[in-house]
Amino acid sequence: MDRALLRQKVLLDHLRPAAGQGTSITGEACATRAGDSGDDVVVVAAYRTPMCKAKRGGLKDTLPDDILAPVLKAVVERTGVNPKDIGDIVVGSVLAPGAQRANECRMAAFFAGFPETVPVRTVNRQCSSGLQAVADVAAAIKAGFYDIGIGAGIEAMSVNPMAWEGSVNPQVEQNLKARDCLLPMGVTSENVAERYGITRADQDQMAARSHARAVAAWKSGRFVDEVIPVATKIVDPKTGDEKPVTISRDDGMREGVTPASLAKLKAVFKKDGSTTAGNSSQITDGAAAVLLMKRSEAHRRGLPILGTFRTFAAVGVDPAVMGVGPAVAIPAAVEAAGLEIRDIDLFELNEAFASQATYCCRKLHLDEEKVNVNGGAIALGHPLGCTGARCVATLLHEMKKRGKGCRYGVVSMCIGSGMGAAAVFEQSD
Amino acid sequence: MPIFKTAYNGYGVKFSPFLETRLAVATSQNFGIIGNGRQYVLELTPQGIQELISFDTRDGLYDCTWSEENENILVSASGDGSVKVWDLAAPPHQNPLKSFEEHSHEVYSLDWNTVRRDVFLSGSWDDSIKLWSLGAPGSLRTFAEHKYCVYTVAWNPAHADIFASASGDCTLRIWDVRQPHSTLAIPAHEFEILACDWNKYNDCVLVSGSVDKTIKLWDVRSPREPMTVLQGHTYAVRRVKFSPHHANLIASCSYDMSLCLWDYQAPEDALLMRYDHHTEFAVGLDLSTLVDGLMASTAWDETVYVWQQGQDPRL
Repeated sequence: MDRALLRQKVLLDHLRPAAGQGTSITGEACATRAGDSGDDVVVVAAYRTPMCKAKRGGLKDTLPDDILAPVLKAVVERTGVNPKDIGDIVVGSVLAPGAQRANECRMAAFFAGFPETVPVRTVNRQCSSGLQAVADVAAAIKAGFYDIGIGAGIEAMSVNPMAWEGSVNPQVEQNLKARDCLLPMGVTSENVAERYGITRADQDQMAARSHARAVAAWKSGRFVDEVIPVATKIVDPKTGDEKPVTISRDDGMREGVTPASLAKLKAVFKKDGSTTAGNSSQITDGAAAVLLMKRSEAHRRGLPILGTFRTFAAVGVDPAVMGVGPAVAIPAAVEAAGLEIRDIDLFELNEAFASQATYCCRKLHLDEEKVNVNGGAIALGHPLGCTGARCVATLLHEMKKRGKGCRYGVVSMCIGSGMGAAAVFEQSD
Repeated sequence: MPIFKTAYNGYGVKFSPFLETRLAVATSQNFGIIGNGRQYVLELTPQGIQELISFDTRDGLYDCTWSEENENILVSASGDGSVKVWDLAAPPHQNPLKSFEEHSHEVYSLDWNTVRRDVFLSGSWDDSIKLWSLGAPGSLRTFAEHKYCVYTVAWNPAHADIFASASGDCTLRIWDVRQPHSTLAIPAHEFEILACDWNKYNDCVLVSGSVDKTIKLWDVRSPREPMTVLQGHTYAVRRVKFSPHHANLIASCSYDMSLCLWDYQAPEDALLMRYDHHTEFAVGLDLSTLVDGLMASTAWDETVYVWQQGQDPRL
């Protein structure tokens, strides 16, 4: 930051004080002297269901509202917040038809025990919908619309496939950007790999690391605090027999996956391409929910705080290389927080494809030891509308485990049709 | 007592420990945000306050302190991270005598040791404190435990090795230069702490001034709770100083443009006096060690006032 601006800021902070200690201005960075204000929006609970492979995994026979209800219930039940005190439930959801999903979410709230007085709505910003839902709730609390809200996300990819209904506007032939919105995501991944020189080996290495980290995380019990088991049924595809089960673990990660084993897979989207089923995110069922409120409200209720919601940014990029979104969104959100990238201690950067995730890490010079430390969507899966909220849960629980030294965390993802989103969280009391 | 008008905005003022009529004033252009600095040396004469000499610097100056062993030596804290050493007896082209360039950010505070008279401290926005001796080519030691700007450093008047520091990280720290780490950290305020000073008659008592508008008194033997909290300023307290002559007397100045005198042991109203002669942030303050009751102040209103405690500075 410019020296004069920095001085202005330091002096100005003497006049409009914020409680809590500042962050060092050494180096060129002038970290935000955010401090903790009672008006801050904080996360007091964040939970997710297990992430299960679509059509084959543990939630394949579970209805979307039954996937969502357990996490909605968990955030109020585990904090002791009376469901009637919730001002709004905002749910990110991508693939399902809008009106039907809105209805299913409303029903899920009833299944979770919320009274009729608590409103529900959905939001769709493609792959960032779950994060957008959290950001929308934070913004509404800041605006004073209500004091407590739930930002959530759901995707049931077993029942809602990625598809296009109806015809395509013929005008796209005259508007290349519009036309590129129709590119299959895998093709945009190939474009990123080609345009920015991300090799097949780079991608397979990231994919293998994602699996290894997710396997290690489960082995060491790293996910236990954030995952809500789902009591459901599973249907035997051959006999049609139903049997009751409780799903409590992710089922996408595989032990022993190596770059060498991944190297054997064929490219899916392009002849001689580099994007394979092994280095792309998985198609997955899952839901997550995040309970947000004013810090003063959390203190009043005596609730421990998982993290402070600091900033959010959504940006647009070239649809043909939509995967670069985080490389633009992260700097925007981090700068809005008055921070620099190097101030961030932990990232959940969605692995839509290893190509784009690798590109974003390189472009921003991220330390791989700070990114997706418990694996990402390649191992755990990418239930589109859920992912943002899932990443918030994973990030904040991991930050808590890492202790006070892990102060700032970022959730980010690329977005189909060429966008990126990112949010900055701070660990504070 | 008359006023002296400075060309730039006042930041720090310090009486000479040798000559009762001499004082130094550190100033910065454009409120210290951007521009040059000027170190003034002023003389109190029957005709008013007159400039003895001044030194120009490329960056703003935020504080100054006199050597305790040589009446002609003065040091200034610069916005560019340097500590400038001036010799009043040397010809102009030999000044600055030295420029210690180690801090990576603005130097905001200086204090010369009154017991071991060859060393002084600097506190900086690079979060560190450095110990210097004019004879050494570089700093003797760096104290880096604060997590945000160090705004004030102050030697203990009774112990040559002990000093206190006030930081924007909301802690006061007590240091013993013989020890590897700070010996005490007091989370003294909820907001940034801009100032601290030691009682001149009780080596365990310390005062702090904060952005939270309060002044707190601390006994380092029981640092959990403040002994007293003084309330009266309406904006951040920029400097606090114990009187060299009266054990209970404290002077303070603030972004609320006023200066206050306090008796921290007064049973009822601790606020003895409020001076409102400044028209901008009052950020520089000193009490003469040689003349009982003689005070000096400077502010962003480009003025320096010197007056006797009981009188109106404007008269």
